[in-house]
Amino acid sequence: MIAEKGKLARLRSRLIFTGPTLFIFFTVMIVPFFYGIYLTFTDWDGISTRYSFVRFDNYATVMRDGVFWKSFILTLKYVAVSVVLINVVAFFLAYALTRRKRSNLYRTGFFLPNLVGGIILGLIWQFVFNYVVVNIGRELGIPLLAHSWLADPAQAMWALVAVTVWQYAGYMMVIYIAGLMNVPSDVLEAASIDGATGWRQLRSIVLPLMIPSFSVCVFLSLQRGFLAYDLNLSLTQGGPFKSTELVSMVIYNKAFLSREYGVGQAEAFVLFLIVAAITLLQVYFSKKMEVEA
Amino acid sequence: MQKKASLLCLLMAFSLLIAACGSGNRTESTDASSSGSEQTVKITLLNSKSEVQEQLEEAVNVFHHDHPNIEIEILTTGNGQSPFEKASQLYAAGNPATISMLDPADVEQFKDRILDLSGEKWVADAIDNSTTVVDGKVLDFPFAVEGFGFIYNKRVLDEAVGGSFDPASIQTRDGLKNLFMQIEAAGKQALHISPLDWSLGAHFLNFLYADQSQDYAQVETFIEKLRTGNADVAGNAVFNGLMDTFDLMKEHNSDKKSPLTATYDKGPELIGNGEVGLWFMGNWAWPNIQAFDPEGEYGFLPVPISNNASDYGNTQIATAVTKRLVVDKERSTPDQQAAAKQFLEWLVYESNGQDFLVNKASIIPAFKNIALEPRDPLSKSIKDYMNRGKTVVGMTSLPSDHWSVLGASMQKYLANVIDRAGLAKEIEDYWKNVK
Repeated sequence: MIAEKGKLARLRSRLIFTGPTLFIFFTVMIVPFFYGIYLTFTDWDGISTRYSFVRFDNYATVMRDGVFWKSFILTLKYVAVSVVLINVVAFFLAYALTRRKRSNLYRTGFFLPNLVGGIILGLIWQFVFNYVVVNIGRELGIPLLAHSWLADPAQAMWALVAVTVWQYAGYMMVIYIAGLMNVPSDVLEAASIDGATGWRQLRSIVLPLMIPSFSVCVFLSLQRGFLAYDLNLSLTQGGPFKSTELVSMVIYNKAFLSREYGVGQAEAFVLFLIVAAITLLQVYFSKKMEVEA
Repeated sequence: MQKKASLLCLLMAFSLLIAACGSGNRTESTDASSSGSEQTVKITLLNSKSEVQEQLEEAVNVFHHDHPNIEIEILTTGNGQSPFEKASQLYAAGNPATISMLDPADVEQFKDRILDLSGEKWVADAIDNSTTVVDGKVLDFPFAVEGFGFIYNKRVLDEAVGGSFDPASIQTRDGLKNLFMQIEAAGKQALHISPLDWSLGAHFLNFLYADQSQDYAQVETFIEKLRTGNADVAGNAVFNGLMDTFDLMKEHNSDKKSPLTATYDKGPELIGNGEVGLWFMGNWAWPNIQAFDPEGEYGFLPVPISNNASDYGNTQIATAVTKRLVVDKERSTPDQQAAAKQFLEWLVYESNGQDFLVNKASIIPAFKNIALEPRDPLSKSIKDYMNRGKTVVGMTSLPSDHWSVLGASMQKYLANVIDRAGLAKEIEDYWKNVK
């Protein structure tokens, strides 16, 4: 229908449909993005009316900032562990729940944590780790649980991972369930006639056909892991003694606590480049792995 | 036809959006044009002391009653948002509050945007070191004095010492140690340390700087030496004395087994229920303690740093003006600025203003002319120390990330992750690298 009209008319109808969204996208995403990059070349502190250009000084500071890179390595570890755990847990939940009938209650149950906001979630789990787990550990005499995980640097990191998995596994599960439902039953039937049993079917038929779901889920969990802030803030506040400060928190503190806005913004831009590169690579390689039924 | 109507609708919605975006700056100008000398002047006040929000709202109504031609609207900082964040956001949006309540360390950064208050009457009545002075100009109004040290629960200490506890009896570290042991002998725990970075970094370490000398110029020299890397923290007498006291506190801490677990809320609960005798905190904790023990008697003890009672710091608690009011000059009209100044004067010199500060909001005012006595026991105790001149300065000019970075170092020391030499090195390194 659109093809029948002239160029101008086509442009008009496009603008009607995409114009408002484009306008909002432009003003709240594109403009701040480029203005932010502009600010990385200044020594602005966030409030002063005057600032001067410092060329690439801020980027040089970023390269030398040990705290930033240390927390970046920490974030890499956190992302690696949580992406693997989230997807393994989510896939097996989805697999188990598609095998049995009347699983709606379970599906809802596993999805529920995702509806609780990160800040609230962190506060709830802070209470659980500080008091509930500790009391259980003391009553049952389990030394690993008898002291608060949040007070120990290594264990606090695992507490963070555990809550992240708990929060996102349900969400990814829904995507995997949709993927599992879309595995054509004729292929599975053919496989079982050929004598493939459960494990063989899963490995040779189901998993290869589920690659699109995996790439979506891995992408989502990667991106959320790198940008994690709210849970970090409310569960550990980066503590004990700054040992669990993920990279977003370091950047925020640099810009708004240490008042080095230019450096913080430069760190944010560096993080953006790295995360963009990693996720693009991930999407590219998982696209290559996709197969047709 | 229908299509045209929908297009029109869309266009209108669109233009409305654009108009809404652009109208942010306009409120002031309409205010300005309508505010002749007889007309109502509307000003805004950014409150960053959330515990007095209700009282402040009431106070501006009383003020409006006293000065019918001025209306004040209260803005607040969001939950967990620092005053600096909110104020700089408002400035970035071109819509700052006429009066902003800031933390002392932030004031100087706003110096190009705020009014010089040197000519105001209250400047002469303010207590010493209570305002920010840049290039000879007074930039802020001291709103609230706060103090910190060991809060004690008198009921517990009475029981421990057998008789009425006299706070003046503790003037040395050994005296404190003796008190700890008496409390423990009475079956209670001696003290609670809240393992919070702000409490340890901003308040406990405050004594490292403030106790250096009675002469504030010496304190500044010490900080200057730290910045240039010429100060020997590990060999500093005050540092070692303070850390000896901290070691003693660690030894008797109610959370000794897991010192980093507790949240802030545990402190008021423990001291309010009389389970511990002392808690290192400040007078802002009164509403929290009151929830557990509304009728109890409480007060402050100094943090002794040696066994010589006459050493500076052993009989003093720390006080500081922790909230400052500044008046915007960038977007506010002269009428609005005058109204803001009038509000500040009302707080200091009119009985309703004083009543709000002291009686309603339980604030310890920073003005010598206000004779009203605070009502809550912790403020009373601080006022008492102030009247006797027994205070060390609460450092309000430390760098903005000091509490966070060195608070983390103190947490490490509290959890025995680093030793005293390690802590000294982290303090030295922080100061060498800070901007």
